[in-house]
Amino acid sequence: MKKTFTVLTAILLVLVLLAGCGSPAPEEPADPADNGATGDAETYKFAVLAPITGNYAEYGKGFEVATQMAADEINDAGGIDGVMIELEVFDSQGEPTESADISRRVVEDDEILAVIGDFSSSNAMANAPILGDGGLVQLSPTASHPDYAGMNEYMFSIMGRQDSEAPFFSTHLLQRFKQAEAVGVIYINNDWGESAHANLTRQAEIDGLNIVAEENYVEGERDFNSLLTKVRSTNPDTLALIMHANDVALVANQIAQMDWDVDITALGPGTSMQIIELAGENVEGLLLSTPFHITEENEEAWAWAEEFRSRANFEPTVHPAVAYDTVYLLKAAIENIDGEVTRDAIRQELQDLEGFVGLTGPITFNEAGDITRLYLIMRIEDGRFVQETDFDYIDQ
Amino acid sequence: MEYFIAQIVNGLAQGSIYALMAIGYSVVVGVVGLVTFTHGEVIMLGAYASYYAFTFVGENIFLGIIAAFFASWFIGIFVYKICYERFFDSPRHISLICTIGMSMLLKNLAQIVFGPNMKAMPQPIALNFVNVLGVRINTIQILIIFVVLSLSLGLYIVNNKTQWGIRLRAVSQDKQASALMGINVRRTAMIGNSIGCSLGGVAGMLIAIYYQSILPTMGGSLGLKAFSSAVLGGLTEASASALGGLLIGLIENLGTSVLSNSYRDVFAFIFLVLVLIIKPEGFSKKVGG
Repeated sequence: MKKTFTVLTAILLVLVLLAGCGSPAPEEPADPADNGATGDAETYKFAVLAPITGNYAEYGKGFEVATQMAADEINDAGGIDGVMIELEVFDSQGEPTESADISRRVVEDDEILAVIGDFSSSNAMANAPILGDGGLVQLSPTASHPDYAGMNEYMFSIMGRQDSEAPFFSTHLLQRFKQAEAVGVIYINNDWGESAHANLTRQAEIDGLNIVAEENYVEGERDFNSLLTKVRSTNPDTLALIMHANDVALVANQIAQMDWDVDITALGPGTSMQIIELAGENVEGLLLSTPFHITEENEEAWAWAEEFRSRANFEPTVHPAVAYDTVYLLKAAIENIDGEVTRDAIRQELQDLEGFVGLTGPITFNEAGDITRLYLIMRIEDGRFVQETDFDYIDQ
Repeated sequence: MEYFIAQIVNGLAQGSIYALMAIGYSVVVGVVGLVTFTHGEVIMLGAYASYYAFTFVGENIFLGIIAAFFASWFIGIFVYKICYERFFDSPRHISLICTIGMSMLLKNLAQIVFGPNMKAMPQPIALNFVNVLGVRINTIQILIIFVVLSLSLGLYIVNNKTQWGIRLRAVSQDKQASALMGINVRRTAMIGNSIGCSLGGVAGMLIAIYYQSILPTMGGSLGLKAFSSAVLGGLTEASASALGGLLIGLIENLGTSVLSNSYRDVFAFIFLVLVLIIKPEGFSKKVGG
């Protein structure tokens, strides 16, 4: 009895460890020098790299659901010229090392024609040299670090860059809309956070915005009490949080625990429902910027959101919407290819693609491989995101 | 001045939680005689037990404590049966590696069963503020300090005033002699392990309440802090480990109030290294096990 129990436990242990690794072993290892992989089989196969577990699981899950939605739609309509799309999802756990390991495996898998992902700039940038050497496109829905897409010709991003969102945040959200007088900036200490912080403070200096505190923290931090006590001692009237949804909620909760009356703004999380679920009334009135928000007036997008909700069981943010667009971008690129569909041909056609309009708006890549977006200002009201329209420079 | 008092209060609240985790850790190490790496996951499971108790039964703090305490108690028995009991006479590293595997198993199972997302922790007590020496302290911080003190006192009474406690201490000091005295060493070690785990589980609940959130991967860094605090206390002495936990909490918070918050762990571990260099036995009066 005891022995059976131990054996069962051991088997369970192995199974769970395998599941934890999240991805099957690569098939037949190919010659690494062979970069001209072709997709002449019955399917076009793309790898989706996303943080399915870990701190950014909400976003990773969104990637998984949204890309599959797009692939299902395309396949139901007959695929790309009769060839079906197949997605293989890899869990990068939000860790650059894990993501880079997966990239090495993906490069060697001849069947994979392009990579969708990864979620964070740090991961995408860790993968860039590996995938670039392997001649494989990395089309990141969300990496917004200004240096990322320019790292090599195979890197693309459609989120818009931090050197346009952060200045927008400073000029339009903080200064013109919010009319903040003293701003405390708290940012996550990673590639993306550093870049957003640098771009925000640079613009703030040009605008004459008064920044009284700049504090950072490392990923995975949960105790912000001492950091907030420190920022509070500089008497800001507004906090600019450069971080993702979970952290925004943790900070907002701890601000409430300190009985501190300060206005909160957030750059980065997008219209994530996770913020509201985790922090409830502590985030009422929170202002944030986003390139895209789904409203009932936009019927097509609303129907998309309904479908997403039924599949994922949570509200979509901008992140799954851009992930959805990446699949259609790859479809459009493949349709433009004359002749054999190769990894390299996809890169060329993505770069040259014109006139593409996705769920999140028109997308045309610049030379570096990313795009410029326009941004909206959103406010949390009664547990919902409401778009702010009451300002005269709305068209900008 | 007020600023530093506020930072000291932050440090005390966080340090108290570290202290409770460290007390649990030192009890485990004391009676089992082996270092464990599953403590972080036990802390996480305790937090989840109270989360489900709050969600499905009611938001009562005593209910949460009981749920966390007993859930971790049974996890403790499970860990003991798998990782310790069978390997009592084997080389020490076998149990140690087994606890590492167990920690991965529990963490991955938790991600599958509870879901990988961060969840909002229900708040069993209302948030209010009390003025102490011009510093506003909130009721959650008071709750934490109060629960930690009560449990520590409880452990002290069990340890010093009951038959159980005497057996626990005997096993902790010398397993062979205890066996010769007619003490059932394996059973006592199992109970001791469960007591240690239960204290960790309650600490998990307090952390989840304090940060108003709960996550399957929360155990990793916490287990490391518990271990560090216990090392400061010479690994097996509960009161010295508690002091270690408190000091780590204080040093982290005072350190980050002067330099960047990104250096939080740097302060904690430099302090650990310094203490070990200057006083290798930590704050313990006896040489640690």
